[in-house]
Amino acid sequence: MVSAGLLDATVQGLITGAVIAGGALGLSLIYDIAEVPNFAHGDMITIGAYLALVFNNPGEIPFLPDFGSAPFALAAVIGVVLAGVLGAVYELAIFRKFREKDADLITMVIVSLGLALVLRNAVLFLVGSKNIQYQTPRVITTNFDFLVTGGGLTVITTQRQAGELVTTGAWGYPWWLIVAGILAAVAVGYAVFALYRQEEDFTTVYLIPPKILGAAGSIATVLLLGVFARLGPQGTDYILGTQIGLNVKHITILAVVIAAMFVLNVILKTTKLGRAMRATADNMDLAEVRGVDADRVQLVVWVVAAMLAALAGILTGWFATNLTPNMGFALLLPIFAAVILGGISSPYGAVAGAMIIGLSMDVGVYLIPGSSTYRVAIAFVILIGVLLVKPEGIWGDV
Amino acid sequence: MAVADFIISLLTFIAIYSLFGIGLNLKFGFTGLIDFGHVAYFMIGAYVTVVLTMPAGAAGYSGIGGFALPELFGVLGPLGSLFGWVLGVLGGMIAAALVSLAVGVPTLRLREDYLAITALGIATILTTVVNDEEWLFNGPFGINTVYTPLRDVFPLSLGGFTLNMAVFGILSLAVFGLTGYWLVRVFQHRGRRGRLVLGVLVPLVAVWYFVLPTLSGGMVELTRNTLWLFDPTAGPNGGMDYDRFVLLLSVAALGGGYWITERTINSPYGRVLRAIREDEDVPRALGKETFQYKLQALMLGSALAGAAGALWAINIGFIAPDQFAATITFYAFTAVIVGGTANNKGVILGTAFFWGIRNGTRFIDVPSQYSIQLAAARLMLIGVVLILILYYRPEGLLGEQDYDIPLPSRDASGGTDDV
Repeated sequence: MVSAGLLDATVQGLITGAVIAGGALGLSLIYDIAEVPNFAHGDMITIGAYLALVFNNPGEIPFLPDFGSAPFALAAVIGVVLAGVLGAVYELAIFRKFREKDADLITMVIVSLGLALVLRNAVLFLVGSKNIQYQTPRVITTNFDFLVTGGGLTVITTQRQAGELVTTGAWGYPWWLIVAGILAAVAVGYAVFALYRQEEDFTTVYLIPPKILGAAGSIATVLLLGVFARLGPQGTDYILGTQIGLNVKHITILAVVIAAMFVLNVILKTTKLGRAMRATADNMDLAEVRGVDADRVQLVVWVVAAMLAALAGILTGWFATNLTPNMGFALLLPIFAAVILGGISSPYGAVAGAMIIGLSMDVGVYLIPGSSTYRVAIAFVILIGVLLVKPEGIWGDV
Repeated sequence: MAVADFIISLLTFIAIYSLFGIGLNLKFGFTGLIDFGHVAYFMIGAYVTVVLTMPAGAAGYSGIGGFALPELFGVLGPLGSLFGWVLGVLGGMIAAALVSLAVGVPTLRLREDYLAITALGIATILTTVVNDEEWLFNGPFGINTVYTPLRDVFPLSLGGFTLNMAVFGILSLAVFGLTGYWLVRVFQHRGRRGRLVLGVLVPLVAVWYFVLPTLSGGMVELTRNTLWLFDPTAGPNGGMDYDRFVLLLSVAALGGGYWITERTINSPYGRVLRAIREDEDVPRALGKETFQYKLQALMLGSALAGAAGALWAINIGFIAPDQFAATITFYAFTAVIVGGTANNKGVILGTAFFWGIRNGTRFIDVPSQYSIQLAAARLMLIGVVLILILYYRPEGLLGEQDYDIPLPSRDASGGTDDV
């Protein structure tokens, strides 16, 4: 039995980062293309979470009859779609009007603040301020004990079943396999990178940047080897030992956010609409001259961003196991930090920024004892530090 | 509780938040700095003042201090303790200004939207620190041993009941007279729409304040509302109670803050601030160190917020970190924008509007289980009004104010900087 350590904090940080990334994707889209630092995004996250709740657990909402509960995944999909509709409504009713008046950045900030006030209080008005939970199947956390022994690495998995800690598996990797695995991962990663990279000129647009694809290849190799090349345990007299707690929830959240990032990236880079969006981000007037329907682009941007916000809200509500009217606003600061850190113009940047923020929050809390209430503060110290050195953000200005 | 008591507490709120808003207006309206962390200086002013003025070793307090400045100077004479309190307020204002200096030096170079977000983040961090570090200012338990200046003088009684009633009554009537005179003058200078609004609003308020209480409570209520400075139940002979004193103090502080900002923005110095707001490159091209000007505007605005915080502490009598949430900054922004950005009178109007809606609707009778709904509905209404005003009247209800010497504009005839 070993205790959780830095590795566990890192994994937790990645999950936190994924939740933040869900919000950061949408916010960076609006920030970049619609040029609105949208303070209502946090409250849109709340709205999304509650929209899914309407279908998943209607009994908790005072004015609704208890018409039965939809499965969580279905409710999530309906919630995301409805949030997209709401996004279209406020783009058409509010932001388009202000864009037609050529409102400046500050006016847009204040307008989004007003919208944030309306959205948050709409939730308070309709649902009240009590904590509510989704109805989801119970998730069992598996603890992975990693033991570094003389013979290699031993992994023991345990689960808590009916109050008892049950060992569900034990396997290991001898040293030669670990070394071979690392070499294989490096080789695969580099091979993917080298094969995929093209002769670059200024028209080259990678769907996935070669470096990211290479890194993904390496990680995939390690994971595949880890799953399929399981040998017998290498002893339990460990030199170093650490524990990671993982469950389906964590994996799902990571997978959903990475999928959302990928889909958004595909839309932006391969479709005609995506090209129009990127052109609008670069220069709206020039894009319009070239026949881009800017209004349509903006509508799509707001709808997609609202859907991403709702997705982030549903994941947050599921991850944190309860929903409060303030949940979105509390996430807004780390999300802004992630977006600015990542440079506002790319989905990868937003996710990378979010991962840095998430990791620094959880690892920071682990490394500095007694700092658990300073999670958001840690994120901000990182952001301020970066802004002091590079006021345009890590990946440069828009 | 008479209507007068409610109005007094509402007006005190409005005066304190107006002072807070005027500090914000100096930053945002006149210099163009979007400080989303303005509430941090409100908090610092409140905490530093309270800690400087409260006695050491207060029960239930485990933070730094207190330093008991009023007691220290109390030996000098009866006004010594008041002087000690004023010193404490000055200390709070200086602390707020110094913190804003430390915040401003790195952040003022940022793009305006990054500045807004960073300032919001720093304010959130500061609130978290005050909330979590009990050794600092007692953490989440707050401080309830707030020193209230001149407390032992009140209820102020000049002699017999009749004398009290006569003196305070005449003063009350004088305030009504002045308000009426001012309203008539405003009425004369307004256009048709302004006259219509005033012509409807003023009688409505008058009916609500004078006629309705008389119908329900008789002459006693009418007298209490008319002679509002005089509280017959305070002390053996009646007199002026402490709440009314806090109101007068807050209004006086608001007047002082108003005067300081007016003098600042109308001076050549203030013209540079306004020029920075319009286009920072222009004053820079004329050899002005715009960074220092921005920093000084930030510090002055923060000091005003600090003073408002000191008044807040004596008005509430208890301070805790959760009173200083980031939403207070957003409320102040709403008030400034609704009333008129870059217009100090507008700030007062906007604050009155905001807190009138926020606190004034408590006369609407709703069952208590719907009180959350009512509060939420008010804030939704305020959000909608904010968006509508930004769309239909982006300069706010009153518009930008006139200056002694406006910035050069295209037609050079107007009194505002509207270029």
